[in-house]
Amino acid sequence: MKDLVKAFRQGVGIENPLTVLMIGLCAVLAVSTQLQNAVFMGIAVTFVATMSSVLVSLFRKLIPNEVRIPVFIVVIASFVTIVDLVMKAFVPGIYQVLGIWIPLIVVNCMILGRAEAFAYHNRLLLSAADGLGMGVGYWLVMVLLATIRELFGTGKLMWFETTLVSLPAGYAPPSILLLFPGAFLVFGFMIAGSRWLNERSAARAEARACRR
Amino acid sequence: MGDSLKLIAAVLITCVVAATGLTLTYEVAAPRIAEQNRLAEERSLKAVLPDADGFEMLEDAAVLERATAVADPADLAAIYRATEQGAASGWAIKLSSRGYGGPMQLVIGLDGSGLVTGVSILTMNETPGLGTKVMTEAWFMEQFSTLPGGFTDADVRGLDSISGVTRSSSGIKNGVAAAGRIYAAVLANGEGGAQ
Repeated sequence: MKDLVKAFRQGVGIENPLTVLMIGLCAVLAVSTQLQNAVFMGIAVTFVATMSSVLVSLFRKLIPNEVRIPVFIVVIASFVTIVDLVMKAFVPGIYQVLGIWIPLIVVNCMILGRAEAFAYHNRLLLSAADGLGMGVGYWLVMVLLATIRELFGTGKLMWFETTLVSLPAGYAPPSILLLFPGAFLVFGFMIAGSRWLNERSAARAEARACRR
Repeated sequence: MGDSLKLIAAVLITCVVAATGLTLTYEVAAPRIAEQNRLAEERSLKAVLPDADGFEMLEDAAVLERATAVADPADLAAIYRATEQGAASGWAIKLSSRGYGGPMQLVIGLDGSGLVTGVSILTMNETPGLGTKVMTEAWFMEQFSTLPGGFTDADVRGLDSISGVTRSSSGIKNGVAAAGRIYAAVLANGEGGAQ
């Protein structure tokens, strides 16, 4: 149980796919202009990451080493297509905005990377915890990035038709935040923030270890 | 030999299982997707021609070919003839025009005399919060209704764009201009069906 929690927490914190490993970034920079899009994109990625980790881990002894990559890709592509169809059928408004980024989850290196580096070598539950942790870590960072970009780039935060928060009318939103340079700027600060957090928690863990 | 057969079998089995899973998902999702697409199209036709009660797609190949030629660089997808209590009342032109983030699918409503009754966006990929202002800033879409019947490209060019959203604005304006050319070249003289 303890190692499951550890695998999950590594994905969210010290091995966060976005702020630490920095993989699968291009989709994040593109869809993080609106909170609502980031939330659904994150759910889609988390689902695919968890399910493909589970399946790869389940059949890891049966998948021959030589053809593992094609097999992983087929597994991942199937889950992505399922997400794609389900979103088209049930949340067409969101699908319309996310558009090409949903099918492109297939080539998101975070998912293939975890299948190859973790799920192929570890037992089922551990791989599921890793996939879920990576997905949640991805989701959290993307949602935070989108919240900052939408709030300060448009002056308000929307959830479908409702306005959640809006800044005072005198605020003139700089539209650079909504464009790619703004994404890089905000993301850079987020990397700095996450390093600071990770270092602080490492220092604390060390201090605790010394006291014992 | 035995080894490569094993490899082939592994990939083959994976593909068959994946294909089966996808087929099942598709069976469930396909009718809903078709329904959503139909609803979206119906909503956009209704939005541009609120008074019409029936829409009928133009199928005359020669007319469509000429309309497609004058629409360039916009891409004509379909022309609908709108009817109101059985009498023809206008047209809805579905086309796609290039914006900042790729093609924007538009539906433009024209009444019998070529006045714009409404413009609606079916799909687009513009920057959320920036390019999407063409949808949220109401005055932008409303200004097309001030165009005269049988308007020309120059009339459309004279309209305002949203500052900072030049290319998305031009995408919509080019689409409306193309609808104007289609009206002038094909629809105005009755070729699109009795008026």
